[in-house]
Amino acid sequence: MNGSPATPLLSVRGLTKHFTVKNRGPGAAATRLIRAVDEVSFDLAPGETLGLVGESGSGKTTTARCILRALDPTAGEVLFRLPDDRAVDLAKLSDRALKPVRQHVQMVFQDPFSSLNPRMTVGAIVGEPLVIHGLARGAELDARVAEVLRRVGLKPEHRVRYPHAFSGGQRQRIGIARALIMRPSLIVCDEATSALDVSVQAQVLDLLKELQAEYRLTYLFVAHNLDVVRNFCGRVAVMRRGRIVELAPTARIFAAPQHAYTKILLSAVPSPDPDVPMNFQVAEELAKLDAG
Amino acid sequence: MEHPAELPLLEVEDLRTSFITPDGVVPAVDGVTFSIARGRTLALVGESGSGKSVTAYSMLRLIQPPGRIVGGKILLRSARAGEIDIAKLGERSGTLYKVRGGLISMIFQEPMTALSPVHSIGHQIAEAILLHQRTSKAEARRLTVEMLGKVGIAQAEERFDQYPHELSGGMRQRVVIAMALVCRPELLIADEPTTALDVTIQAQILGLIKTLQREIGCSVLLITHDFGVVAQVADDVAVMYRGRIVEHGTVRAVLKTPQHAYTRALLDALPSRRARVA
Repeated sequence: MNGSPATPLLSVRGLTKHFTVKNRGPGAAATRLIRAVDEVSFDLAPGETLGLVGESGSGKTTTARCILRALDPTAGEVLFRLPDDRAVDLAKLSDRALKPVRQHVQMVFQDPFSSLNPRMTVGAIVGEPLVIHGLARGAELDARVAEVLRRVGLKPEHRVRYPHAFSGGQRQRIGIARALIMRPSLIVCDEATSALDVSVQAQVLDLLKELQAEYRLTYLFVAHNLDVVRNFCGRVAVMRRGRIVELAPTARIFAAPQHAYTKILLSAVPSPDPDVPMNFQVAEELAKLDAG
Repeated sequence: MEHPAELPLLEVEDLRTSFITPDGVVPAVDGVTFSIARGRTLALVGESGSGKSVTAYSMLRLIQPPGRIVGGKILLRSARAGEIDIAKLGERSGTLYKVRGGLISMIFQEPMTALSPVHSIGHQIAEAILLHQRTSKAEARRLTVEMLGKVGIAQAEERFDQYPHELSGGMRQRVVIAMALVCRPELLIADEPTTALDVTIQAQILGLIKTLQREIGCSVLLITHDFGVVAQVADDVAVMYRGRIVEHGTVRAVLKTPQHAYTRALLDALPSRRARVA
């Protein structure tokens, strides 16, 4: 799991994404720059799970989207190692050069209700990436869809049904199947279990763990729920205002957080143990932190 | 705080709320009994579909057809209005209007469900005051500004005329809390009040609810799926599963020594507990 000497699968260097937004109203400057992601750097070793945590607006999702090139970064490098050991910079590839690379980097989304096309059957949804990339069709496509559905705990018969017939947890399995069918090396999970009830969440996390061991998957796990990250990730990067304020092995982040913001964030999590009181005074502490 | 001899503020007895659909009757709340003492907080906890929100909505008679209360009692022992069985009130009864927003008020998960996008926040809070109290507009404005200050909104005088879209999610929830508490209800129902919020904002909002509860002396019925919130905020907890309460007790007893298999399964599914096992 530590894989310290291993060459990173993904190497993010100085990743930056700025948005220019128009100000409204009289007397305001015409535009203003938002540094959504500001000089973010980290490595992902093959087979590891890195948690990217932070509150809304911290830049965690924008970071993930820049890595996937759903957004074009303003600056920085996203070096990704292909299965043939060639490294490519995802930040700079042209759209045409990017397409074959995309099969190796897949995403699982937060909302299993809006991320699946309601007009497509489960079989079509799960098989679509193979069709788009021209990797399988006919009987082979069918066989691979059936196989991956079975692997994520669904039934091959489910192919002919539509997403609305499935529960939240099952839909998330469909989303995972769609990512997995490409046999990617990296899966970016954006709040993949946030919309689920705890018991369902536990099952989906277990599935992701099994799949990781079986296919040697590497996960970038974007989440706001620190409890989920604690159980699931080997290392954690804490983001605030576009920057990583702390990156360390999970056990160390939780046992001995170094950065003041990490400490405040952890203290605000309500513990299910009534003997571990939470901190209700976070507003004052954050204000103090910002005052320097 | 506790008067052992005092009768509970709210007593719900064998409440049944069903949805009558063409495919049959769905008993969303299937014989629920609980009570809340004055000044205490009861958490109703369960997963989606367990019936916790339908229970909460039944307290205010907010169940829409095809749903309706088909049985049971919702007895409110109001210090101001005497004993009221909310389940028996007529749809248009004046008492029901007095209950809603006056004796019992509610805050929701998504603050925008409770806020009008086309009225200023000050106007909306003042409206609640004018609806339930005999005061002048000027006095309502003064009370509103005071309340906005109490929920931690700085420069309340200037904020009075702002619209909900100009505020962040945390600020909107503060406005909703101000609106809910400005008439000093005897019971506050909070339906997943912090589920949509970031953890540092959640901590502030939960702290605020606790502080104002103490100040006003109201009881709280807290609907949540989060055992962390239960442990940190509530005094008592009732665990719901498929329309029934499967376990009921003090927070400490239920979380430390759960008796029912479902409660144990829910607690074991918590990531923090699983981490300890792994």
